[in-house]
Amino acid sequence: MTSPVVKRPFERLILSALESLPVAAFYAKTRGWPFVIAWIHRLTGIFMVVYIWFHILTLSSLAIPSEYDAKMKYFGFVFISFLEWLLAVPVIFHALNGGRLILYEIFATRNDESMIRWVFGLAVTYVLLLGLLMIMGNQSVSPIFFWLTSLIFSVSPGYLVASKIWNTASSLAWKLQRISGVFLLIIIPAHLLFMHLQPAIGHESNVVITRMQSKFIKFVDLTLVIAVLYHAGYGLMSILKDYLKFRLLQNGLTILIFLMMAVFGWIGIRLTLTL
Amino acid sequence: MSRENPQTQVFMINLKIRRFDPDENRSWIQKYTLEASRIMRFVDLLRKINDEQDPTLAWVSSCEHGQCGTCSMKVNGKPLLACELLVENAIYYFRTDTFYIEPLNVAPVIRDLIVDFTKAYDRVDQVKPYIIKPVLPRSEGDEFPITPQELERYVNATRCINCFCCAAACISSHETFLGPNAMLNSIVRVMDPREQEKEQRLKILYGYQGVCRCHSSRACSFVCPKEIDVAHFIALAKEGRITKLKS
Ligand code: SF4
Ligand code: SF4
Repeated sequence: MTSPVVKRPFERLILSALESLPVAAFYAKTRGWPFVIAWIHRLTGIFMVVYIWFHILTLSSLAIPSEYDAKMKYFGFVFISFLEWLLAVPVIFHALNGGRLILYEIFATRNDESMIRWVFGLAVTYVLLLGLLMIMGNQSVSPIFFWLTSLIFSVSPGYLVASKIWNTASSLAWKLQRISGVFLLIIIPAHLLFMHLQPAIGHESNVVITRMQSKFIKFVDLTLVIAVLYHAGYGLMSILKDYLKFRLLQNGLTILIFLMMAVFGWIGIRLTLTL
Repeated sequence: MSRENPQTQVFMINLKIRRFDPDENRSWIQKYTLEASRIMRFVDLLRKINDEQDPTLAWVSSCEHGQCGTCSMKVNGKPLLACELLVENAIYYFRTDTFYIEPLNVAPVIRDLIVDFTKAYDRVDQVKPYIIKPVLPRSEGDEFPITPQELERYVNATRCINCFCCAAACISSHETFLGPNAMLNSIVRVMDPREQEKEQRLKILYGYQGVCRCHSSRACSFVCPKEIDVAHFIALAKEGRITKLKS
């Protein structure tokens, strides 16, 4: 009956603060901190599924640029910008923690305690960096260069994971979840970063539409939509299966989730191809 | 809370026990207060209640040496073996002298702290935790030699006593997942060189109730009274490393 070994004083400080949180402290004591982190992973995942649906619906108004610009006016408000920045917290946590799980499950990384430290350290660094970029505004970068680099950095680990697990006896659906996860781990934080390099990049319809004329950008966006919706759909399904006893109910909900993802996928793909 | 010399120290302990009467289908919490010395185990406390306060309190134990897994229960939410938990350790760990004791939520409760282990075992039975098709013994002698390197890979997993603490702690073993201990039992036999039948096993292990249902939350490893790193073995299966000696 031991608590996680923590040596550094600032970690002890953080841990004692965390141990005063009522629910988290109870589960940390009875199931361990990785269990609590698994729950945070789950909750941030559910939050992001809802956000992605909302995001795709918002973007769908790009078909009528004036409607899109009217919506984007709200994003000029400081409070909304603050919420946009806050959105990076669940995103980066889910991404990095997913990376940690992949290292644990597929690359036999068993020094999980130090991996958890890395997850939190890198997440804080990323969120601060993003905040700084948002405050600075007006950064410029070539979209093609940015996305080409991001794509290379996302596809390479995706390929590595695929080559490690492709010949195992696990189901194809499970393998695709891991592969899409590691692909998104880089490309989603990159997407968030890109969108905040300068306000116009994501907020002005003419800038967005011009960028999306490029076939390469269309390709990146399509890949993103498909990978995100697949990953989200599988994640939701796997949570539901933990609580549904009957196979029939499980299958029914699986079909429902698949249909919902297909509808949003259709909206996203149609938008990307028609702009 | 305590008196005098640490060697003879006596604690006043409050146990809040979840009880269940199957005849009336009634569940309630009953509080017992008792004196306990520091090295008494939780099974001793339960026995003391039976002897001095309430003979109707039902619980179960067998070896009382952490080898049979019968006295598993939740103490302040943590699944553990009551025969291994000393009063002084419990007070230190949970920082309280009040303990809420309940049965493991891995099968229906028969009475008070006793769960229907045959139902819990149904999940383990599904993975066939025995050698289905033994490799034929060598022509000379009956023994089947296993190299230390081979044994080293899975010997820890063989120490599982099926106490179901891990299943009770698992984030996903409520409905469809067969559970960490069932997975472990299956993995042991896949890694066991004496077993020929691997295909049947892999089908179950990687089936829809198998390792794909595990979210690597590592609660199983955290609570395991035999200190088996259950999550490590499940991760080995996910990585596809259990069927061969080297990756
Ligand atoms: S793996 Fe550990 S906790 Fe799980 S049943 Fe076996 S001994 Fe108990
Ligand atoms: S690591 Fe897997 S098996 Fe172990 S408690 Fe977590 S979900 Fe359950």
